[in-house]
Amino acid sequence: MRRLRWVFAALVVLAAAVLAAGCGGDSGGGTLKIGASLPLTGDFSEPGTAAKQGYEIWQQQVNDAGGLIDKDVEMVIKDDQSDQNIVVTDYNALIQQDKVDLLLGTFSSLLNLPASAVAERNKMVYVEPAGGSPEMFSRGFTYLFFAQQATAPHQADLFADWVTNLPADQKPKTAAYVIADDPFGGPVAEGVKEKLEAAGVQTVYSEVYPPETVNFDAIASAVAAKKPDVIAQGSAGLSDGVNLDRALIKVGFSPKQFFQASSPSFADQFSNAIGVKNTEGIFYAVSYHVDAKTPGNEDFLAAYRAKYNTDPPEDAADAYAAAQVLQAAVEAVGEVDQDKIRDWLHDNSVDTILGKLSWDETGAPEQAFLLAQWQNGNEEIVLPDEAATSTTLVNPKPAWSK
Amino acid sequence: MTQLVQVIILGLLIGGVYALLAAGLTLIFGVMDVINVAQGALLIFAAFVAWTLWHDLGIDPLLGVLITTPLMFGIGWVMYMLTIQFLAGKPASMSVLLTFALALVIEGVMGILWSTTYHAATPGYFADSYRPGDFYLPKTQVYGCVIAVGVLTALYVLLRYTWLGRAIRAVSENATSARLVGVNPKKVAALTFAVGVATTGAGGSIVSVLYPFLPGSHYQWISRLLGVIVLGGMGSLPGAVAGALALGVAETTTATYISPRWATMVPYALIIVVLLARPQGIMGAKLREDAVL
Repeated sequence: MRRLRWVFAALVVLAAAVLAAGCGGDSGGGTLKIGASLPLTGDFSEPGTAAKQGYEIWQQQVNDAGGLIDKDVEMVIKDDQSDQNIVVTDYNALIQQDKVDLLLGTFSSLLNLPASAVAERNKMVYVEPAGGSPEMFSRGFTYLFFAQQATAPHQADLFADWVTNLPADQKPKTAAYVIADDPFGGPVAEGVKEKLEAAGVQTVYSEVYPPETVNFDAIASAVAAKKPDVIAQGSAGLSDGVNLDRALIKVGFSPKQFFQASSPSFADQFSNAIGVKNTEGIFYAVSYHVDAKTPGNEDFLAAYRAKYNTDPPEDAADAYAAAQVLQAAVEAVGEVDQDKIRDWLHDNSVDTILGKLSWDETGAPEQAFLLAQWQNGNEEIVLPDEAATSTTLVNPKPAWSK
Repeated sequence: MTQLVQVIILGLLIGGVYALLAAGLTLIFGVMDVINVAQGALLIFAAFVAWTLWHDLGIDPLLGVLITTPLMFGIGWVMYMLTIQFLAGKPASMSVLLTFALALVIEGVMGILWSTTYHAATPGYFADSYRPGDFYLPKTQVYGCVIAVGVLTALYVLLRYTWLGRAIRAVSENATSARLVGVNPKKVAALTFAVGVATTGAGGSIVSVLYPFLPGSHYQWISRLLGVIVLGGMGSLPGAVAGALALGVAETTTATYISPRWATMVPYALIIVVLLARPQGIMGAKLREDAVL
């Protein structure tokens, strides 16, 4: 009993301390706390670490320029270990205990799904740097904003539009769809399929495979037997795309146009895994390119290169853009008022290093991804014209070279 | 018809690779009652070594087998001396706990040594195929099968015709009696474990060429390999081969004729069916007289 009393007393003291700390933050002490939880360890540790770099570079730049609405920005970043339960705990703790003024999102649809629900319940604006699954935007949330150009079903829009508008003698007649059972990858391939079918391209193969598939020999063999003009694969991560490519090389079949959702964006890891010559002509969609002439990109690049001595990965740029979105809204509103920030974002567009972004009523972005293609061992943006880094387009895709 | 034959060829080839990878696992279980969950992690470790030899020294992964096999033998020996030997007399479930912990440690070490990004060895033949007539045979899988035949034959000869082999079989059947005729069960167990781990040297070389891998890849392999040896009959070498081939063909035919969606599930359904009909697996247990599942 005595021990319990001590515990109780300790709790009271602790509560008072937390309360005092919270009051201190609110009373205009000159700092603005922004909280986020990122997958710094576990399955998503690679994008999670990159996102942390993006957030921190933004914080440094904002503070160097005098802060956000005249307050120093202090990022509070927790590690959710790529775990859906921990990410919920983390965002609750950020709001209840750390008393952060603003939130930024985490990485992957998997983690953003539960995390955004915590923000929504607490009526806090939630700008996420990743999480394009359609499930995100079908829940009637109003405080959620996705800071990339488009959701998963529209990731390949530029590719689909380009393919279906090819001159009659080049226009594909048949297409095969290899679709991962994944909340992001699945909708990407379904999006292409819908557009191509509407344009009269016949579907000759369309199969969903489980995400743990590594052996694509049987799939490649079946696809090759149908000799489709186009192959579109929707998947998340690197290995699915590489394993399909390798299986297609083994069977000796190369389509005229080939789109893959994620793998080709893994730079060296992709080209090393299938052989750099075999990358020629493969299409994919990206949100960011280092050579993009978007507002602020030069500053971001310089700061990133100075700090990490290498080019920023896409995930770092996406996180930086998410912070830019939040910054623009807070500056426009002039105060930390979650409802006003939300309304402003619904009514306005923001210039980011990914280009201009605006949102519909569900928080889904209304722009289009960049269409990229591997050319001569380099990753080039081919569409839209204003963002293109290469004026030529490899079409049709050359045969595999072993 | 052509397609069916092709699909069965692909299934048998990948099955041959599975047999190579499962051989050490079934040997270790058959003799020692140890379910070595770390076998997958050791396989990926060997793949990283093969990749490094290929990437930094230009040694072909298949030639690298000559280096990785003794290396993995040594690692197996050390692992036995430091940890596995204390499992003697404990139930097999304890071995799962211990070796799972070892698998996590090995995964962490690989992350430190080689980072958590994907690696892939791409020697000239990595995505090449032999093309007899209308068919194609991926070279990597063919080489994997050839090595599998070599490794399995060597294991068979070792068990059948050498003093060590007779000692291993004696210990697996009755450790107490084996001791009476002058066999040192601890030494035999250490050698068995090391030989079982040494097979990952060859397996890892094939894995490094077959698919891109990272430290976490061991989960996908160990689940499949456990499936192979349960299907074939735990502890039986011919059983591991039969189980591996059955699993490979089941995978490819399902992916082609039903749907890829079912391809990773059907092999496990097959295991349930086989175990209902033959609880000891396809081949029972040749190395153990008391293996009943």
